[in-house]
Amino acid sequence: MRNTELFDKYLNEGLNADEKLAFESRLNADELFAAAFNEHKTLINALNEHEKSQQFKAKLKQIHHNEFGKDAKVISINKEETFSKRYGRVVMVAASTALIAVLSTVAILGTGGYLLKKQSNQITELGLKLKASNEAIVEGISRGSQKTVYAPANMEGSAFALNNKGYIITSFHIINSADSVFVENGVMQRTLAKVVITDPKLDLAILKIDNIDLIKNWQVPFSFAARGTDVGEKVFTLGYPRKDMVYGEGSLSSLSGYNNDTSMYQISIPVNPGNSGSPLLDENGNVIGVIRGKITSAEATGFAVKSAEIIKSLQTLSSDSIQPSKMAKRPVLKGLKRTEQIKRINPYVFNILVYKKD
Amino acid sequence: MSKPDLKFTDSQFIHGLRTGDNAILRALYKKYYYIVLKLVVNNSGSSEAAQDIYQETVIVLYENVQKPDFTLNCQLQTYIYSVAKRLWLKQLKKNGNTFLIKEDSEDEIADVTEDVSLHEQKELDFIKVKQSLENLGEPCATLIRDFYVQRLSMDEIAEKFGYTNSDNAKNQKYKCLQRLKKYFFEKTTVELRETERNEKH
Repeated sequence: MRNTELFDKYLNEGLNADEKLAFESRLNADELFAAAFNEHKTLINALNEHEKSQQFKAKLKQIHHNEFGKDAKVISINKEETFSKRYGRVVMVAASTALIAVLSTVAILGTGGYLLKKQSNQITELGLKLKASNEAIVEGISRGSQKTVYAPANMEGSAFALNNKGYIITSFHIINSADSVFVENGVMQRTLAKVVITDPKLDLAILKIDNIDLIKNWQVPFSFAARGTDVGEKVFTLGYPRKDMVYGEGSLSSLSGYNNDTSMYQISIPVNPGNSGSPLLDENGNVIGVIRGKITSAEATGFAVKSAEIIKSLQTLSSDSIQPSKMAKRPVLKGLKRTEQIKRINPYVFNILVYKKD
Repeated sequence: MSKPDLKFTDSQFIHGLRTGDNAILRALYKKYYYIVLKLVVNNSGSSEAAQDIYQETVIVLYENVQKPDFTLNCQLQTYIYSVAKRLWLKQLKKNGNTFLIKEDSEDEIADVTEDVSLHEQKELDFIKVKQSLENLGEPCATLIRDFYVQRLSMDEIAEKFGYTNSDNAKNQKYKCLQRLKKYFFEKTTVELRETERNEKH
C-alpha cells in the first residue's frame, strides 16, 4: 500500500486497532514518515477548510441578497450630510479606488491563478478572438450552396494530433471556459472535440475527437521528442492564424521562455493570433513543442512549451491511453523534403473553433 | 419572509455559529449589518464596500469561534464593530487613503488583533489552495475534490471518470495528489512577491 493511501485510511479511521497502533509507533520512530504524514494532513485539512469557507461565504452572500438585496435605498440612509458636503470629492475618489482594488483582486484570483494571469499580461496569447462577423456566412456561400453555414466562433486557434487514438493537443487558454469545441482542416470536416485533460500551468489541453469514422485511419507521422533540442536548430510550425494553414520557419533562439521559464523555448518564428496550439517541429519532423504565445513588444519572438515537459505532464495527469505517440526508431518524416513533410503533417494539424456562452 | 427572532443572546449566537445553525446565522447577519454599513459609509466607503467588509467581519467571527478556547470578552456588537473597523482601516490604507475613522463616542473598541490575523493567515492559505487546484487542471482537480472533500469512494470515482476499475482510479488519484502537493508546497512566498510586483505594470 502506498503511504498516501495509508495516511488516508488512518485519517478516515479506516485502520483496525493493530494497524493503528503500528501506524502510530512508526510515526514516532520514523522521522521522514512522520514528516510526509504531516504534509499530507496539512494539505487535506487545507482542502477541506477551503471548501468549508467557500460554502460559508456563499451562504453569507445568499443571506445578504435575501435580506437586503432589493433594498437599494439603504445605501444613503446613514450618510451624514455634513460629511459628504465637506469631503464629497475625496469620498468619490476613495470609493472608486476601493472599487478598482476590489475588481482587480477578483480578476487576479478569479481567472485561473496569478501565474496564468501574469503571463497573459506580458506574453500575448495567440488565440484568435473573433468579432461577430459575416466571415463564416460569406465563406459558406462562396463554397457553394451545399455547404453548411456556421456561426462565427468566439475564439479560434490551432491544434494537432497527439496520437492515433483521436486525441489532439492545444493551448489551455484557447479552450478555457469553452461551451463547445470543434476542429476542422482541409481534409477533415468540422467535428466536435471533447476536453479531457487540462494543465493550466503549462497552458495545455488535451481533447478527444469522438467520431470514430474520422480517426480510424489515423497514422500520425510525427512523435514527441523526449529530449531537448539545441539552440540554433532550424524549426518550423504549421498553424491556423487564418482559415488556411500557414507555414512558418525560423530557429530555436533560447532554451528558456519568458521570464526565464525553463518549461518553454524561445523561437524566432513570426507567430500570429491563431497560432496558439500549433506544433513546433524540428528538421526531422519531431514535435519539440507547442506554440503558446509571443512577446507583444518584439517581432518574430514566440514561445513554445517544450515537448519533454508535455510528456512529463501527461504521465502525471492521465491514464495510459492518453500519451503522445512514441518516437519511432526512424522518424517517418526524416530526410524528406520540407514540402513533402508538410503534405504528410497537414492532415493532423487543425483549426480549432471555440464557442462560449456569453 | 417571516421575521426572524432578533432576541438571541450573544452566547446563543456564538453557539449557533459553532454548530452551523442557519437560522441563527441569518438573525446575526441581519442584526449587525447596519452597524458596519454605517461605519463604512460614513467613512468614505460605498455600500458595496460595506457589504464586503461586513461579510468578512462575520467570517472572522465564524473562524474564531471554531477555536475550542474562544471566549468573547466583550459584547458581540463591540466585537463586530472592532473587527469591521480594523478591516476597513486596512482597506483604506491599502487604497492610499489616510482617513482617520470618525468615532462615535459611545463605540467601545475591543482588541481583535489576533482574531483578525488568524483570518488573514487563513485567507493566504485559501489562496494557495485555490491556486494549486487551478494549476492542477482537469480531471485532477475534480478527482481530488471528489475524493477528499465530497468523500466519494474509489468505485464511485472510477465510474464517474470512466476508469476501468477502482485500482486505476486509485493510481490516477495518487498521481494527481503528488502533483497537487508539489504545487501546494512549492515556493509560494516568492511567487506572491512576484505577483505584487507585476501588478504595478
